[in-house]
This record gives sequence, structure tokens and C-alpha cells, in this order.
Amino acid sequence: MSVKHASVHAKWIIGRVIGTKMYKTAKVRVTRLVLDPYLLKYYNKRKTYFAHDALRQCTEGDIVLLKALPEARSKHVKHELAEIVYKVGRVVDPLTGMSVEGTQFVELPTDLPLILGEDQTLSEKLQELNISTAPSGADSPPAQNPTS
Amino acid sequence: MPMKGLFPIRRTLEYLQKGDIVFKNRVKIMTVNYNTHGELSEGARKFVFFNIPQIQYKNQWVQVMMFKNMTPSPFLKFYLDDGEQVLVDVEGKDHKHISDHVRKILGKTEEVLQAEAQAKMQESNPANFGPRKYCLRECICEVDGQVPCPGTTALPKEMTGKYRTKMAAAQE
Repeated sequence: MSVKHASVHAKWIIGRVIGTKMYKTAKVRVTRLVLDPYLLKYYNKRKTYFAHDALRQCTEGDIVLLKALPEARSKHVKHELAEIVYKVGRVVDPLTGMSVEGTQFVELPTDLPLILGEDQTLSEKLQELNISTAPSGADSPPAQNPTS
Repeated sequence: MPMKGLFPIRRTLEYLQKGDIVFKNRVKIMTVNYNTHGELSEGARKFVFFNIPQIQYKNQWVQVMMFKNMTPSPFLKFYLDDGEQVLVDVEGKDHKHISDHVRKILGKTEEVLQAEAQAKMQESNPANFGPRKYCLRECICEVDGQVPCPGTTALPKEMTGKYRTKMAAAQE
């Protein structure tokens, strides 16, 4: 028998996840540039691949890097998830390492900075904040409840 | 009659063949992240507009993908065969600069390209005869000044095999 090569020609591909409804499998759309023979212009040509995602970490819209498996896992699944390059909604800029939204940097929401004085305990700090469910008299009258 | 579109010269075979970035065999995927507005992405935008068709023409098997407006700064990312990734920052750079840099880090050098061209030429030696797909000529009868094909014109009697055997048998 001839030498067994990898099951597919494409060893590494990048694509966008379009479906995660299958069991531990991600449906990935890969676009490649193909030259139109008359216009001599490059257009995106799509192809869908199925990739094995053991930890179910993909969401729809992620950009993922797939690696070809040495032999096909099933009739359609011939790749596995190598890494999630850009997670949808949580893109991290590789140059700075900060999280990014479109063309803006984004500060992830952290808890309020807790600055305790020297002789202050946490309970005293909480008392300072004056959080209580009892209505305080001096405040403005509570807002009218919208009639349902 | 002029060609249609902005810079239609990009859509000529001559322009595509002029591209000089041929990636090494290890490079499998090329990704360009750039922004549609802003001064800093200007070089990256020009790179995508002018140089990407040339690169894709010369490297048919490399997957090239473009991402717009994902991060504030533009960059290129290459994914090599053994899982290695190469990140190239192109913020504020000129497109000529970017293509020269890419050629220097991941492109095949002039000597390697010439050696490959030489090897290809040796395979297609004009001295070989064979099927049209692989060689120039199929039979010596096609060359001017050689004996014409016996399929079209009859050979002179003295050159035919049956006459020669008859003469050889008569002599013994």
C-alpha cells in the first residue's frame, strides 16, 4: 500500500465558527482568495469544515485555528481545534495584550478599589457606605412606580 | 478604451506575475488585521490593496485572510507549519516597507528562486522527445531536414525493412 499521508491537504487553516450545535464539534467557515479568471480579481470563496472541539470552548463568531488530524475522526470531521485566535467579544490585542473592542481599548470592569485605612476593618468600611434597605427620610421622595 | 475601476493595473497578469514575495514552504496562513480609517493603518491598507493580489498569485496554497477594525493597531500574523506564529507590527509603516520586511523574514531569497527555476528548466530539456505535455516534439520526423514521417509519405524502397531483409537473405 502507498504511504499514508494526513487525511487532508490543508494542514493548518483559520476560519470563523458558524455553528456549535453538534456534540463537541464546531462548524467552521474558511475563506480563501480565489482569482476570477476573467476579471483577474481575488474574491473570497467559502468552504465549511467540521472541527473536533473536545472542551466545547467555541462560541459562534470566534476566529479559530484548526489543525488537521492524522486520520479522519469521522466521515466529515478531519480537523481539530488548535487554538481560538480571537474570541468574539473578548478580543485581545496581541501587540499590547490588552482587551480591545473594535478600534478602542477597553478596561475590563474590576471591583471597586478597596482602600482600607490603617485601623479600619472591613465591617467599619461597610458601615461607612451606609447601605441599608430602610428608607432614609432626608432623601428625595422615592420615584413613582410605573403603573403596569 | 481604458480599464474600469480604481488602479485597474492591479488586475493585469503582468502586474500579478511581477510580485516578488514567494513564501518559504513552512508558511501556511497569512492574516492581516487593519483598520478602514486612521492614518496609522494607511500603509496596511495600501499593502492590502496593492500587494496582497501579488502575494496570493505567487503563493497559491497559502491561506490569506483579512480582518477589518478588530484591534486599534494594524498587524500581520503568519502561521507556520510547526505551530509557530510570527507577528509583524505595521503601524505607521509604508506599504513598500512592509512588503520588503515580509520578504526579508519569510520570503525565499533570489538565489533559492533562481536555483528552483534552473531545476525546472533541466526537467524540461528541449533535447527530449515525448508526449506534448512534457516535451517540445514527439518524433524526429517533425524536425525540418530529417526523414519525413512514413505515415504520411512512403519511405524510399532502400530504407524499408522488408527490402533490407530480402537483400540480406539474397546475399547469403
